[in-house]
Amino acid sequence: MATSSSGGDKFTRNLVIAMVALVVVVGASFSYFGSKGSTTAAIPSSVSKADGYGIVFNADVPNVPTIDIYEDFQCPVCARFSGINGMTIEKAIEEKKAKVVYHVLSFLGTESILAANAAACASDEDKFLAFHKAFYANQPAENAGAIDATFLKSIGAAIGINSPKFAACVDNGGYSDWVRNVAEAGAKANVNSTPTVFVNGKEIDRNTEYFNVEAFTKAIAG
Amino acid sequence: MILLIDKFALGKYGKWFGLLSRLTLGGVLFAAGWLKIFTPAKSQMAVRAYEVLPISLANFLGIALPWAEVGLGILLILGIGVRFSALAGGALMVVFIAAISQAWARGLSIDCGCFGGGGTVDPGETKYLSEILRDTGLALLALYLVRYPLTRFAVEKLAKTEGE
Repeated sequence: MATSSSGGDKFTRNLVIAMVALVVVVGASFSYFGSKGSTTAAIPSSVSKADGYGIVFNADVPNVPTIDIYEDFQCPVCARFSGINGMTIEKAIEEKKAKVVYHVLSFLGTESILAANAAACASDEDKFLAFHKAFYANQPAENAGAIDATFLKSIGAAIGINSPKFAACVDNGGYSDWVRNVAEAGAKANVNSTPTVFVNGKEIDRNTEYFNVEAFTKAIAG
Repeated sequence: MILLIDKFALGKYGKWFGLLSRLTLGGVLFAAGWLKIFTPAKSQMAVRAYEVLPISLANFLGIALPWAEVGLGILLILGIGVRFSALAGGALMVVFIAAISQAWARGLSIDCGCFGGGGTVDPGETKYLSEILRDTGLALLALYLVRYPLTRFAVEKLAKTEGE
């Protein structure tokens, strides 16, 4: 079956194919480099590069299990997880029973990046856990336009952060490069769902240990 | 069977069916790609969740694949380079079917991530059978277009063939 193009059409054909190929290559390159982390990113306090750029609690406490928690602020299941296990985790941090690393992923969209940035700003005020809790208690619908600087500052105000530094940090998105670093490290750690919890580098049982306080408490005891 | 399809394809409705195939396959590819290109991290997660490829390759594909789908979709919808784009689109469907089947066989609980989404889901939420059937249907349309790339309303007008 002959499928050769006739004269004048050939030019249009090749032009369109070339344009489409160009769009694909340029688009994919943008996505690729846009998802790359940056070694010069501004990093919030209590973040450890060695721990996948996560926000670390009890970094120097010896002989305790390491709990890595991967979440996206917009993920509804993360809000549920936080509601069920938040107290247990905060208690483990307070009593220095575990080293806890929060990885704030942002795969659900731009509003996740804004929220993660604001959480980092709160971390600089030593209020990450309070921000985390208050945000999940008031989590808006996914990508509905509700998570903006005003909303994030109101969460801050609700937990007693009133400093101009926090407001500026939320407004400027100064930690958004860091948010990308966290995302890249999470991708390399093969995290395929949120929430994901690792205890000493091993994921706990998704079927039984995520949404049951007793099972979770046992699982994070190491 | 082949003869029957030949007769249909070269008959009165063959090129109309070709148009339908082109728009369906192209439309699905374009939509699938478009829904993923704005959330590359999620798309990477979807590819990793199949647990087939090394992580770095999965992360690369998670970004490249949606754009390739968009490109193939545009070519098919316009009707340019139909045989090539249908071949590539059909090959993609075969790869997707293989990937979903192995996930099913191994007892993974994932969303195919075909139209965004993806990653690990609750065991009760998997839809492997319908995903495989859909992709099989699309692969058959692609096969038809590879064999009969001449369709109605294609931008690219092809020279006369034995059918005309």
